[in-house]
Amino acid sequence: MSKKSINIQHVTRIEGHGNIVVNAGDGHIEKVEWQVPEAPRLFEAMILGRSWEDLQTIVSRICGICSISHSLACIKGIEAAMDIVVSEQTDKLRLLAHYSEQLQSHVLHIGYLVAPDLLGAKSVVPLVETHFDLVRLVIKLHRQANAWSDLLAGRTTHPLTFKPGGFSKVPAEASLRDLHAGLTNLIPDLKTLSSVLLSLADKLPTFERETEYVALRQADTYTFYHGHIGSSDATETVPLNRFETVVNEYISPQSTAKWARWHRESYAVGALARFNLNSAYLSPLAQEVAHAFGLRGKLTNPYLNTIVQLVECAHIVETSLALLDSLLTAGVQPETPNVQPRAGEGVGCVEAPRGILFHRYAFNAQGICTAANLVIPTNQNHGNIQKDFETLIPQIIDRDEEEIKLWLEMLVRSYDPCVSCSTHYLNVEFV
Amino acid sequence: MKTGTVLIGLGNPLLRDEGIGVHLERALAASHAKKTSGLGSSSYPQPVEFLDLGTASFRVLHAIAGKARALFIDCALMEEAPGTLRRFTLDEVRTRKSLPQLSLHEGDLLHTLDLAQKIEECPPTVVIFGIQPEDISPGEALSPALTASFAEYVRAIEEEINFRNQ
Repeated sequence: MSKKSINIQHVTRIEGHGNIVVNAGDGHIEKVEWQVPEAPRLFEAMILGRSWEDLQTIVSRICGICSISHSLACIKGIEAAMDIVVSEQTDKLRLLAHYSEQLQSHVLHIGYLVAPDLLGAKSVVPLVETHFDLVRLVIKLHRQANAWSDLLAGRTTHPLTFKPGGFSKVPAEASLRDLHAGLTNLIPDLKTLSSVLLSLADKLPTFERETEYVALRQADTYTFYHGHIGSSDATETVPLNRFETVVNEYISPQSTAKWARWHRESYAVGALARFNLNSAYLSPLAQEVAHAFGLRGKLTNPYLNTIVQLVECAHIVETSLALLDSLLTAGVQPETPNVQPRAGEGVGCVEAPRGILFHRYAFNAQGICTAANLVIPTNQNHGNIQKDFETLIPQIIDRDEEEIKLWLEMLVRSYDPCVSCSTHYLNVEFV
Repeated sequence: MKTGTVLIGLGNPLLRDEGIGVHLERALAASHAKKTSGLGSSSYPQPVEFLDLGTASFRVLHAIAGKARALFIDCALMEEAPGTLRRFTLDEVRTRKSLPQLSLHEGDLLHTLDLAQKIEECPPTVVIFGIQPEDISPGEALSPALTASFAEYVRAIEEEINFRNQ
């Protein structure tokens, strides 16, 4: 074995990225580390002492991509703590908004992050020259998903309309009919995207590692929103209010973020986990896409997460069309949330695009937040990325260093860790 | 045909000065609404849309499509004194950010605008107001340097909004 030292370092404490460190030589691998050096965000401390009415707008800033998921987990947590029951209409409208974010995020992940790898480009920008139609298709899908979020959440990012107990403003039926037409028009586009990805799927690395997968489970449903906590290692589910017994957070010296483990040393969350637990309940078009890629049974190649996201895009659009039909048949009624705060504690949980997301809150009688615990999908995946590295590196260590580096980066990209999403600033020099 | 102006505030208001773009967007939107209230549309032939896009830099692509002019406000590391506001256009700067492309969560406005130019969806006029931060630690209040200059920022950006908009 030749001496190899691979260090992919992006250390900036404020906009922290992950670092990949591999040292190998003299017939053995000395060090393999997935390091996470980002600065603590302190959101849990920031919301202490704040009113239940303010929490949603604060926690939506945790992530610029998953802000709807954080808002919904927060509101569900508040409602669980204060015994607030929402109408069937609110539940459906929230799920519809939740789906819009899944589509936004998945399309971006497939088109902007993974397609360049499959096409040998450094980023999406050079693809404009070589694969203009694909870039336009991805932008069109993302634009429609953005408009969909705008309609339900009041704006594309950091929702305005979500309130404990309901919506501050419900969409007009005419707008929902337009959305139905827009989503119907996306189906041929998704089929085109599926064909393009199918032609490139052989570029995804072949790598298998037996893994525990954790996601929401709900009877007869490919769920993103309701249910209990399920695992590929367990037949019984765990109630949401016992999520701490699932995540078992611990400190890793190579990370400023907490890591998680359940039945094994690590577990994975996200599209692959949802598929492995719930694929029997995918919509017909989603089943068709999964079949085209040969996806069946338990999938243990983490690089397939992107393909499963495509399957989920088909499921989301088809299921949303059915939801819209149901809402329009019943007729959309105006709603005015009327909630009185009370003391209590509760857990809110949704499947964010990158996996299961937990929010726990406690409130006093005035509705002031006295405790918070937020566990995001990326923190649950960090340990699994490390374990993937430890298994993958010995299998590929004799390859060219650039190829090893690409495989490791592609592996991280397949998880799309949320490690720098709460900041944005420019860093420029004048020319 | 591209028409109208969009003003976009970027950043996270929970990280003090990092959120200056969002703070200013809110102030400018409120001021603009107050000034235009009761005026006929002929007073402002070019409509102005105000958007808080937070840290979602990819969404910029859709927000600027079809616009004649895009104005951005963002916290910017420019090697200037804290609180300094600089107005610049795309040909006056280059990014020092290295995007490792490990995650969609990496954001760089200049990268997104480069993509917009390549797909011919970038407005013909793009102006960026960068403000050098003093403090980007967790918290909601702006630093003393930015607080002291806030009214001056509003005035400078309003001048830009009104330029060619009367």
